[in-house]
Amino acid sequence: MENVIECRNLTHYYGKRLIYEDLSFDVPRGRILGLLGKNGTGKTTTINILSGFLQPRSGECLILGEKIGEMNPLTRRKISLLIEGHVQYQFMTIEQIERFYASFYPSWNKAAYYELMSRLQVAPHQRINRMSCGQRSQVALGLILAQNAEVLVLDDFSLGLDPGYRRLFVDYMREYAKAENKTVFLTSHIIQDMERLIDDCIIMDYGKILVQQPISELLGKFRRYSAQVKEGFELKNTEGIYNPSVIRTSLELFSMKPEEEVKAQLACEGISDLTVERVGLEDAFIGLTGKY
Amino acid sequence: MMIKAIFYKEWIKTRWYWLLALLLSIGFAGYAMLRVARVYSMKGAEHLWIVMIQRDAIFVDLLQFVPLFVGLALALVQFVPEMHHKSFKLTLHLPIRATRAVTAMLSFGSVLLIATFALSLALMWGYLQSVLAPELWQHIILSTLPWYLAGLAAYLLTAWISLEPTWKHRVINGVIALLLLRIYFMSPAPESYNSFLPLLAVVTLSYSLLSMLSLTRFRDGRQD
Repeated sequence: MENVIECRNLTHYYGKRLIYEDLSFDVPRGRILGLLGKNGTGKTTTINILSGFLQPRSGECLILGEKIGEMNPLTRRKISLLIEGHVQYQFMTIEQIERFYASFYPSWNKAAYYELMSRLQVAPHQRINRMSCGQRSQVALGLILAQNAEVLVLDDFSLGLDPGYRRLFVDYMREYAKAENKTVFLTSHIIQDMERLIDDCIIMDYGKILVQQPISELLGKFRRYSAQVKEGFELKNTEGIYNPSVIRTSLELFSMKPEEEVKAQLACEGISDLTVERVGLEDAFIGLTGKY
Repeated sequence: MMIKAIFYKEWIKTRWYWLLALLLSIGFAGYAMLRVARVYSMKGAEHLWIVMIQRDAIFVDLLQFVPLFVGLALALVQFVPEMHHKSFKLTLHLPIRATRAVTAMLSFGSVLLIATFALSLALMWGYLQSVLAPELWQHIILSTLPWYLAGLAAYLLTAWISLEPTWKHRVINGVIALLLLRIYFMSPAPESYNSFLPLLAVVTLSYSLLSMLSLTRFRDGRQD
């Protein structure tokens, strides 16, 4: 499958602090990829590099086959960008912002924009700075739909939105991206939203990628194991085990290995009465990255 | 088409301020002319000439810092909204070369400012040439030109400071801008800048290049 986004050996520091080293990933055409990570693991850094607002210390990113730093400006017609917090020109009204952007995009779909705007309880002359964050998110979404780009880069699309607007955004975006075969790269700090939206995920830890795979594959094999143990118990063999923790007499751990293998491995340490559970994306994320 | 759209965006930001700036500039110029008219009607043209020649009076001193503040405020009105929540990223993501977009923004503001100043100067010229000899009205107009250039310089330097992504550099740029603006007010004597005016105009226009430095720093991801 053709890769629409390709990042190769990205290394970046802020001052002397390493954000990540030799980070590589691809996003194939038509896939929705979510970047997950705790605060400070480099999600925004990656989005900034992909949007051309940050020069990495080394490595390179290509979108639609063009290096981001040397991209032909007209290629940006094929890339939609959603800035964290659904930022748009605050001084414009719904009508003005549509008229402004329409001049830049030959295949601008005015009807798609106004179809969404008609559902908002705002006057056409109301300025964007007088709208709620939820209403602004709909304006941003309407502009994305009207631009009709091939690639969508969405930075923390959940920020500031209440559950209703988050769900609206996710459902609209999912249906649009799938129906139009769009490639989407996104981040969000609310993982439940990601689970409804994305096909693939990259889970980042400090300085590295922990997991990159289709979400169905990850959730198909990731399990939470819990058991009662004696106080002070410590797991000796942690091969293939993620973040084992003991709180008083409760042991909890996560693994992607087949259940039988994990059971056999734990039996060697005297643990037999195991509870095994499938987990959602949020628990898988915590299982992989730990609570701290 | 794309440049026209950028002009449209700049017009939305600046139109109300421009009206205010126009009223302010023309108001101050008009007030200065009223003062000249009063002296003219009370003491006659001869007195005006004598005062101008013997005491170096130009009657428009109150206009000295008006263009400076008009230019500075225009840059704030135009560029601060771009930096609010970093919406400048939206401008840089448009399918147009970033330097072209910034040049269009600066050109729009400069033309607006020059039009404002030209109207003030036209108002002054219109009245002064009716009561003064060419040597005298030229003396007044030429004496005000460095102030109007200072207005343009204040606009371009404030744009440079506003587009800079880090506060540390904004402070440094601000100090440099103050020193550069000092050049326009170094000599209080009328017409003392005459021989220097063409060079000063070129230097003033060259300040537009400083915004490209801020643009490069913004795109490199510089932050506090």
